[in-house]
Amino acid sequence: MIAALLLLIPCISALALVILRPAQARPIALVSTLASLAVVVFAWISYTGGMVLHYDLDWMNAWGLRFVVGYDGVGLLMLILTAVVFPFIIGAGYGQQHDRPAIFNGLLLFTQTFLFGVFLAQNALLFYIFYELTLIPVFFVLLYWGGENRRNITVRFFIYTLLGGLSLLFGLVYLLIQSGGNGDFTALQALNIPGGTQVWLFWILFLAFAIKLPIFPFHSWQPETYYMAPLQGTMVLGAVMLKMGLFGVYKIVFPIVPLGVEHWQSTVILLALIGAVYAGIIAFRQSDFKRLVAFSSLSHVGVLCAGLFAWNTYGISGSLYQAFAHAILVVGMLYLVGAMQERVGSTDMNAMGGLKSSMPRLAALFLLVLVNAVALPLTQSFVGEWLMFAGLWQVDGWLTLLAVSTIVLGAVYMLYAYQRVMLGPDRANQQLPDATTRDHLYLVPLIAVTLILGVHPGPILELVDAPVLQLLSSLSVN
Amino acid sequence: MSALVLLSVLGVVLLYLGLFSGRGILAPVGILGLLAALVLFAADWHLESTLFGGLVIFDTYARSFSLVLVVVTVLLFLFGMDYYAKVRENVAEHYALMVFSLVGGVLICSFTNLVMLFLGIEILSIPLYILAGGKRDSFRSGEAAFKYFLQGAFASGFLLMGLALIYGATASFDLAAIEAWSAVTANGGNMLFLLGLFLTLAGLAFKVAAVPFHFWSPDVYEGAPTLITAFMSTVVKTAAFAAFYRFIANIQLPGAVENMLVVMTLFTLFLGNIVALRQTQFKRLMAYSSIAHTGFLLLAFLGTDGRTPDVLFYYLGTYALATVGLFIVLTLAKRAALGDENIRIFRGLFRRDPWIAIAAMLMLLSLAGIPLTAGFVAKYRVFVLGIANGFIWTTLFAVLMALVGIYYYILVIREAFTPQDQESKELAVAPINWLVISLCGAGVVALGVWPGLLRI
Repeated sequence: MIAALLLLIPCISALALVILRPAQARPIALVSTLASLAVVVFAWISYTGGMVLHYDLDWMNAWGLRFVVGYDGVGLLMLILTAVVFPFIIGAGYGQQHDRPAIFNGLLLFTQTFLFGVFLAQNALLFYIFYELTLIPVFFVLLYWGGENRRNITVRFFIYTLLGGLSLLFGLVYLLIQSGGNGDFTALQALNIPGGTQVWLFWILFLAFAIKLPIFPFHSWQPETYYMAPLQGTMVLGAVMLKMGLFGVYKIVFPIVPLGVEHWQSTVILLALIGAVYAGIIAFRQSDFKRLVAFSSLSHVGVLCAGLFAWNTYGISGSLYQAFAHAILVVGMLYLVGAMQERVGSTDMNAMGGLKSSMPRLAALFLLVLVNAVALPLTQSFVGEWLMFAGLWQVDGWLTLLAVSTIVLGAVYMLYAYQRVMLGPDRANQQLPDATTRDHLYLVPLIAVTLILGVHPGPILELVDAPVLQLLSSLSVN
Repeated sequence: MSALVLLSVLGVVLLYLGLFSGRGILAPVGILGLLAALVLFAADWHLESTLFGGLVIFDTYARSFSLVLVVVTVLLFLFGMDYYAKVRENVAEHYALMVFSLVGGVLICSFTNLVMLFLGIEILSIPLYILAGGKRDSFRSGEAAFKYFLQGAFASGFLLMGLALIYGATASFDLAAIEAWSAVTANGGNMLFLLGLFLTLAGLAFKVAAVPFHFWSPDVYEGAPTLITAFMSTVVKTAAFAAFYRFIANIQLPGAVENMLVVMTLFTLFLGNIVALRQTQFKRLMAYSSIAHTGFLLLAFLGTDGRTPDVLFYYLGTYALATVGLFIVLTLAKRAALGDENIRIFRGLFRRDPWIAIAAMLMLLSLAGIPLTAGFVAKYRVFVLGIANGFIWTTLFAVLMALVGIYYYILVIREAFTPQDQESKELAVAPINWLVISLCGAGVVALGVWPGLLRI
């Protein structure tokens, strides 16, 4: 029932929006996402552990595709993440002027449907189908509502991501034939693939997620796409879609090619951290607020990926926990970008400065969002980062040092950004409106989530711990 | 088999109707006749009826492919109602020639004797040589017809020579006898047989436009009238592939021939996809992408096992569905753009007619092979066959080429969903065209979600 609701609520509302094109598109979309949130919360409350399977239906059995949906703790975390973030993504549209809002919101809801599908799928091919489908609505969002030079950037993004997707498909087909045509994750995870094969199969499978995240050196599509996309599109990409990469690594790469992971572990961690430091340095040099958020996201994702590949309880749990924190953070930061753009008229930080005097409340909210970005203790990010570093420490001390340095870099460029936007002499030299009720309604819940989960991370970590332990122990048995 | 007779008579009837009465009833009569043939094909489904003293056998394979051929022809005739609405002369001949060509297609789906293969291919091709030159006052159309005829004649020569050599080696034209012979002298060094196979396959490869026998296809696709282009890339291609597979299915192929097929597959995949990247004319794009699809289908030939006929059938059926719809959309956009065929004419399609744009998008996504469309399932099955039969590297190459394919289809979608710079003429969509486009658009999704609907 839960799975059916999660797939049907956004899908039906999206269809209704696209076909009927009502004038009140945004409230309808908002109600739909809140309904999904309610369903997910119900699922969370009634979750008692283990794997919950909802449907197990035949589809194309001869070719390995079956409709198997359900979730374990990690899947549930991802569902929670998606459901929590989407009302905010829809809500961010209130500050934006859109051509054809009904279709725009409809496309966002289609994205949500497919994202739920990705996190629910328990069959590799079903996973793949949803994974690729998420691209289609996003493609149109970027193409139709994107910024300058959108035609070329959108196509590049699409093709780049599909390169990974097709590589994943090839890997899955290969696995499917090894398993005798059974595409369920349980069957694929039971395969014992020879070590030599795993070494190359690892990259075939991982490439998709490396591009989706993205980690260095597969990141070149990301900054331009994030910058060009409409605000809500960037939110979808940065807050939720890249989490499919983490989830995919957890769900497919880790259990199926563990020997390959062991072989490439340090390479991937090193690449991810190089990317994290590199993106951090570039972020420092940005004068555009939205680009800065794009690069900071790139930097954070590098650490997330490194934490995941630490390949122990601390690292994996920390990374998945931090994925949630990162989603909240990205939405908050991007909302601030939008709020600034609304007031100043551009996202160029050179055009800002000294805004605190005219908008003290917004400045305070900004600072509260920002403390999460720099992983200050008592925020959600602190918990995640700490766990990841603890995990990385078990792998290598020097790598941990590299990872920690990104925090320092993050603090530098974030605070520097704050300084350039809010502090200093008032260059804009005009009375700009302070935070409105809408801004408060938007940012206060986000900040509340950050702080509550920073102080009391138990509920989320409990979800993650059991499946991660189970994964690691099943691997050590093999 | 009564359906075959019915189709032949239908062609003659259409010719006579053109002499005596108006053009209005040609397409309806044609469609009625085709539907009757459809019923006859489907009527005694599980019977295996032989014809012409065993030269032809209508088994499930032949019946399934014949059904697809007829259904696609019906769709094209529906399109023809609007397409030929303003044409003054020779309309009846066009319909009749298409039906005759279809008869050839049905014959090569069901041959059991190489003589019938040759006859079928000629019956299929000769009307096409005329149809390609259907626009008599158009220079390009004449060029297309001439090129197609000249190269087609050469291919027929190859084929005939190949068949003769095979006869020389095996002393029989009968497919079963040849299979038995090849099984006994498996991989034997019989040069006569080997050369015969090479030449026969070259002749067949010409019909399916596999590299290096593809040179005719872009020019002919571009020059021929759009309806005929659609006919060639769907009905003719499907029939040719059905014949190709029927020919090689049970013959023990010598290693050299298998290698030739692998090389042909690789080159077809590469050239079709890469050259399509540079195309700006939509028909040429479709021609090269058609070559690319030939490559994927050849991959299914390499890994031949019990599932191959089903895969071919599904792939060709869904490919035909998407292609017919797209050529209709092209015709509509071309009319609005006063005869231009550049892919730019699709710009702003979404603004002008959202539903047509969405249907076109679905068909393009299907050709590109994006999930939940039929094209994805088709490509996926081909990949499974390829890997299951040990062609891992060839399949990996095909996967890469599929990515290239997605790129050029996406460019067309991008045009359709980009607002246009200046206002252009309204898109006039006749109800019948709207219906066919919608059918094709919905069809590729329905078949993608329930692939079981389309199987042998």
